[in-house]
Amino acid sequence: MQIEGGRIPVWLWYALLGIFFWGLWGFLSKIGTDAANPLQMQILFTLGMLPVAIAMLLHARAKLDRNLAGITYGLLCGIATGAGTLGYYAALRHQSASVVTPVTGLFPVLTVVLAFVLLRERLNRVQIAGMLLALTSVVILSI
Amino acid sequence: MFHWMTYAAIAIAMWGLNGLFMKLGTNRASAHSMVIWVTLGFTLLLPFLWAGTGLAGLSLRVIFVGLVAGAVNGLGNWAVFACLEKGAKASVAIPLTALYPLCTIALALIFLHERPSALQWLGIGLALAGGAMLSHETAPVAAPEEQLPCAR
Repeated sequence: MQIEGGRIPVWLWYALLGIFFWGLWGFLSKIGTDAANPLQMQILFTLGMLPVAIAMLLHARAKLDRNLAGITYGLLCGIATGAGTLGYYAALRHQSASVVTPVTGLFPVLTVVLAFVLLRERLNRVQIAGMLLALTSVVILSI
Repeated sequence: MFHWMTYAAIAIAMWGLNGLFMKLGTNRASAHSMVIWVTLGFTLLLPFLWAGTGLAGLSLRVIFVGLVAGAVNGLGNWAVFACLEKGAKASVAIPLTALYPLCTIALALIFLHERPSALQWLGIGLALAGGAMLSHETAPVAAPEEQLPCAR
């Protein structure tokens, strides 16, 4: 991370903001799941997220690609993400946020493996080491 | 009732699968177009969720917390998009933002008074390091939303 002339670059502020917002999401999810079931949380989550997503899209004024495969993968992304979030909320009902959130944050392990197997993407050494750390952490936290 | 790790595994599996779909999708449509289709996919689940439950019985406080949770997740997505648009290298920014559980942990320790055991701290540390390292891409720059946990 390069900090030019002692000043923090603009992108880093946005990255920190992203970390804060996502971290806050995990925290609020724990509070919410103490009273609401995963399905209820997912409904509220979707309704809360939609205005932000719509504002983001309106601001971008992007041209909409209507490639059928792109649309299909996009819809599948939304469905898979929603299903995964249900699992996250269910896990939060049984375990503390400080344990569940780092574990579910390991989702790139599957992406990396699937990309390696199906897309023949190469794994770098950092990712291989990360995978070993991830598996070790899951074993430790399962105890 | 299953062990909590079973539910966490479902999240990892689905979000991991999402990463693959995103890789395939962004090869065929622009990143912004993908956000539209992903958001639509997300809302497609709503009727099924409504069929399984309702919001009756929830306090206004819980409803507010749930709505704000969704909004801040969307804002997180926006911030990471903006981060990459402001010239961040994805190979640096994505592993950095993968550390977002640190923020959740800090908030949970301070406000929810969670106290992980020594063994859990070890697991948490390894998971954080592993998550950041797994997100390290040396190949072509990933689309920003490719790594987003939720409204991808």
